[in-house]
Amino acid sequence: MVIWDHIGMWVAAVLTIAIFSLLYRDNPFYRAAEHLLVGVSAGYYVINYFYASVIRKFAVPVFQQGDLWLLPGGILGLLILLRLSRRTQWVSRYAIAFYVAAWSGYLIPSVIQERILIQLQGTIPPQPGTVPWDAFLGAIIVLIGVISILIYFYFSAPHTGVLGRISQVGITFLMIGFGASFGYTVMGRVSLLIGRFQFLFQELPESLMNM
Amino acid sequence: MKKTGPVVFGFLIGVLMLLHHFTPSSWIGDRYNNVLDWKQVVFGITLILGVISLFTYHWKKIERRAEGWGYSVITVAGLIFMIAVALIFTPERGPYPWMFDHVQAPMQATMFALLAFYVASASYRAFRARNFHAALLLTAGVIVMLGRVSLGELIGIDSVSTWILDFPNTAAKRGVMIGVGLGMTATAIKIITGIERTYLGKGA
Amino acid sequence: MTTEARPSKTDAARPRRPLHDWLANVDRRVIFIAVAVATALPLIFPLNLPIKTSREARAYYDEIERLQPGDEMIFVFDYEPDLMAELDPMSIATLRHAFRKDIQVIALTDYPGGPGIAERILGEVAAEYGKTHGTDYVFLGYNPDYSATMLRMGESIQATFPTDHYHTPSSELPLLQEADRYAEVELLATVTGSALAEYWVIFAGGSYGQRIIAGNTAIQAVLIYPYFQTGQLSGFLGGLKGAAEYEKLIGTEGAGLRGMDAQSMAHLLIVCFIILGNIGFVLQRRYQRRLEREQDGGAKREQGDGVKR
Repeated sequence: MVIWDHIGMWVAAVLTIAIFSLLYRDNPFYRAAEHLLVGVSAGYYVINYFYASVIRKFAVPVFQQGDLWLLPGGILGLLILLRLSRRTQWVSRYAIAFYVAAWSGYLIPSVIQERILIQLQGTIPPQPGTVPWDAFLGAIIVLIGVISILIYFYFSAPHTGVLGRISQVGITFLMIGFGASFGYTVMGRVSLLIGRFQFLFQELPESLMNM
Repeated sequence: MKKTGPVVFGFLIGVLMLLHHFTPSSWIGDRYNNVLDWKQVVFGITLILGVISLFTYHWKKIERRAEGWGYSVITVAGLIFMIAVALIFTPERGPYPWMFDHVQAPMQATMFALLAFYVASASYRAFRARNFHAALLLTAGVIVMLGRVSLGELIGIDSVSTWILDFPNTAAKRGVMIGVGLGMTATAIKIITGIERTYLGKGA
Repeated sequence: MTTEARPSKTDAARPRRPLHDWLANVDRRVIFIAVAVATALPLIFPLNLPIKTSREARAYYDEIERLQPGDEMIFVFDYEPDLMAELDPMSIATLRHAFRKDIQVIALTDYPGGPGIAERILGEVAAEYGKTHGTDYVFLGYNPDYSATMLRMGESIQATFPTDHYHTPSSELPLLQEADRYAEVELLATVTGSALAEYWVIFAGGSYGQRIIAGNTAIQAVLIYPYFQTGQLSGFLGGLKGAAEYEKLIGTEGAGLRGMDAQSMAHLLIVCFIILGNIGFVLQRRYQRRLEREQDGGAKREQGDGVKR
């Protein structure tokens, strides 16, 4: 480990503690670290954005490989920058319209196929006897759940009578789903804390031993 | 030119991208690929615009000596330093990757690690079995929380947790997913046909 | 010194805090300290609790296991430093598994904060297995616009990434001459903390039939069960537990397995707090109902007295 890595470990430790200090109360050390994070991240990102989009996706193909078909991409990119002036702001609408419409165009068939049709297909239970009984029962539960949730989200008729009772079943499924999400959210957040503690209590002392 | 032009332009691009799925035409295929390439350039430059806005916001704060301007100095200094070292030493070596590894990464990771404390506090304060549905949410949450770790596996709760995730949870997520999918499709159609144009900003 | 200066513990002027109030209003800093202790102690003094492997993790493992030496795999670092703790162990384990089997890896990232993570992990694991950049693996770097990137790669990876992360033209990278589109790549693995696993399924899986496995944060994992059930996703890992399961399957101990005891203890503590909060809530509700009954009774008595008068 070179000296700069050791210094880096200690810088990281100090900054980690500065961020953790928010748990006690808001304080200048936390604020300073927070603002440093914003500045450094923005600097890191802008270099990556610039290299990836302007150099690699525009300058290299157009000027080094002579692919003029990529020229309009650069022009549309320049139009976006016209947002910075109030007088020319409207021109950037072309670039925004291009971006959003292109996204919409390729999204429609993909979403219909992958998020709607295949998911609906997966909701149809298999024929009884072709799968173990518990899997079949599970498939029936999934079918009931999906139908009742879709009815719960159907707002064109009042949720009374049969519709109301079915949508109540939908809410029940949603609550179990939210509960599962909650359990996993706790798991995720705790894992992130474990990562920082592994750094403070395991990696940092190791770095000290190797100095 | 200012209002209808972008909508018509958007319509043509949207239809081209949609057509690609329904035609084997190589000309349309090539233009489809062009649009995908252009889109990546536009996206990258839009994000650069975001960083410019961030810089301008903090710079103005420093100029006006607004409250907390000292912190803005830190932000601006961090941003300029990163750009400068990337240009001087290249992004592959020197202070640029060092700053990422030892300043940005640990701080960003810690910022999110803070949420472990807040989620614990919020669970204690807000997670109350006030009625049947709240009790159901709570029970499912606790079972999944315990069932997905070693401790839950030791007491045999993991099979219940797996069952919840495989069936009722799949049903819930799929129901929402199909609903969101329908919403996304409807919005995309409205954008291409020019019915939805709020994304173009005021006056469009 | 007079005895009056120090109030005794049984001072009648200071009312004792009722149990329900205490249970329902534990100070947040007490909770914070308890969470910190419950998470830190098992890291310092491990309990070595056993873990089981899930069906999803086995499916993820099997997908890489069935590949042959020389096969190509796309590996995507779809996350930033905020989620390193959860996802780094998955990336490290996946690359170890792939390099151990002599699978050629085409790595990239859809996040601008991803290159730093990818370079560190790829560098470490490649050095461990003696792999060289360009022939055994390539790092293409960050590309803006995830959806356009996913779709464009189906037509040509070289056109999507005209150069690699280190400015070498893609046409000069031997690995990309063998695999330039999804059809020429056996498997795509994404390790992600966002909905990108879904988008890989929609765009790379749906439009080009690419086989996909995903490592996910715990929060995201719960949302992708439907894709696993339909087979759109061939396998997945969920959170640090998923990483630990996968580490167990490939037989290497990493941060996932090392963190599992702390994960168990922290979960147990949070469950205890939830139970504590609910006991306090029930007791408080009973207390309030009793108070209301007493007040109602008092008011009725007063009304009754008024009528008598």
